[in-house]
Amino acid sequence: MSIEAINEQLLRAIGVGVALVDLENLSFPFRNDTFNEWFGEPDPSTKLSDLFPDLDAQTLRADMHSGGRMTTEASFKLRRRTMTVALEFNLAQNASENIAVLVCQNITRIKELESMIDSYSMMVERNTHEIKREKEQVEKLLLNMMPRAAYEEYKTFGVVSPRLFDPVSVLALDFIGFDEQLAQHEPGVIVSELNDIYSAFDRIGAQFSCQRIRTNGDSYVAVSGVPDPNQDHAMAVANSCVRFLRYLVRRNESHPIQWTARIGVASGSVIGSVVGSQNYIYDVFGPTVGAALHHRSIADDMTIATDTAFADSVTEKFGAEASKDGTHVLMRDLAENA
Amino acid sequence: MEKSLFDKYGGFSTVSKIVLTLYDRLLEDDDVGPFFDDVDLSRLIDHQTKFVSSLMGGPASFSDDHIERAHRGMQIEDHQFDRLKEIVAEVLTDFDVEGPDIATIVGAFEARRNILIEKPDVN
Repeated sequence: MSIEAINEQLLRAIGVGVALVDLENLSFPFRNDTFNEWFGEPDPSTKLSDLFPDLDAQTLRADMHSGGRMTTEASFKLRRRTMTVALEFNLAQNASENIAVLVCQNITRIKELESMIDSYSMMVERNTHEIKREKEQVEKLLLNMMPRAAYEEYKTFGVVSPRLFDPVSVLALDFIGFDEQLAQHEPGVIVSELNDIYSAFDRIGAQFSCQRIRTNGDSYVAVSGVPDPNQDHAMAVANSCVRFLRYLVRRNESHPIQWTARIGVASGSVIGSVVGSQNYIYDVFGPTVGAALHHRSIADDMTIATDTAFADSVTEKFGAEASKDGTHVLMRDLAENA
Repeated sequence: MEKSLFDKYGGFSTVSKIVLTLYDRLLEDDDVGPFFDDVDLSRLIDHQTKFVSSLMGGPASFSDDHIERAHRGMQIEDHQFDRLKEIVAEVLTDFDVEGPDIATIVGAFEARRNILIEKPDVN
């Protein structure tokens, strides 16, 4: 067997499509078995453009002339499968003939994998985006339940250690005749009303560095000085509660459901912590909270009750008068009566 | 939290092999293969990656609405759907997915029979 015959046998046997291209008329003087498997049995009239319609013959000839090499890709259907081959044309060394050697590597699998990875990364990207959005929602919820500083501590360490905050001021508000309101109105109406009122209280409180800690039915508790210390905590709470009452008065003028509140305030120390391991919530407790709740319980309609110590700390802006039974003092806004 | 089948069987590294094998078998099959005659490669691969990931509880949300839209007008018949199910089960068996898990995956597939097979117009 001659060397040429052996070479031809070898070219026929490999799993790469090989063909010789006559650059004059773009026919195929030789095609190996793999090439035929992909592009059909040889027919002398088949031209390069029949198999690769997207291939520009001018470019091929120019590339062969200038560098003797050209690479590109082509896709075609083999039964139902879309096959993709990498084409490499090399000008044959034999200068007497204008022939290019065409080598086709099957890169179908690579293309399929690329498509799959694209598809998968898009899914993962979308998932990551959704997880991020959910995380933000959870964060928003947790920030509703605890101050940011406590949340940051919780996120970092998984716990919020109890802290003593001193001095702070506590505001406790509830509504007179709440049970009667519940009996008279639909639950949805009551929730909507409370939502409206508490949101307004939150906004007012935020203006004066007074933060809502919890609501429990008609009980609204806010504090100033937790978790960030506030030198003017008493004034912050006094300003907030006066405006809470003013807001209610104005609201009652234009709303069908009338709300009458009473408020108790007190200064002192509180312990702040996240309570509960499953249904955790940030809470403050201690004698000062107890005092505020006690004052609230003896406050008259639409008044603010406290002790002399608290009243003394805000005398520059708020006046105080002793209650009828002498157990506490009622605060009033001096500016309002001026 | 219970591990999804997607994670249990090695995540994307296994699912990618399952998808490529499934793709090969579907194209070779004379019952279901013709459905893919004119489908673009990247679309088909995208669809199957999401499909297999989704059946295995992976990171794909493949809504029934999406499935219905992708197969609208294809006129898939019950015996072709059954064959598809068989091929899915065969491929999963080849990848050593446990029997009960195959049943879960194929069950999830079966649950979509109604949205894949268009009912003849009775009016």
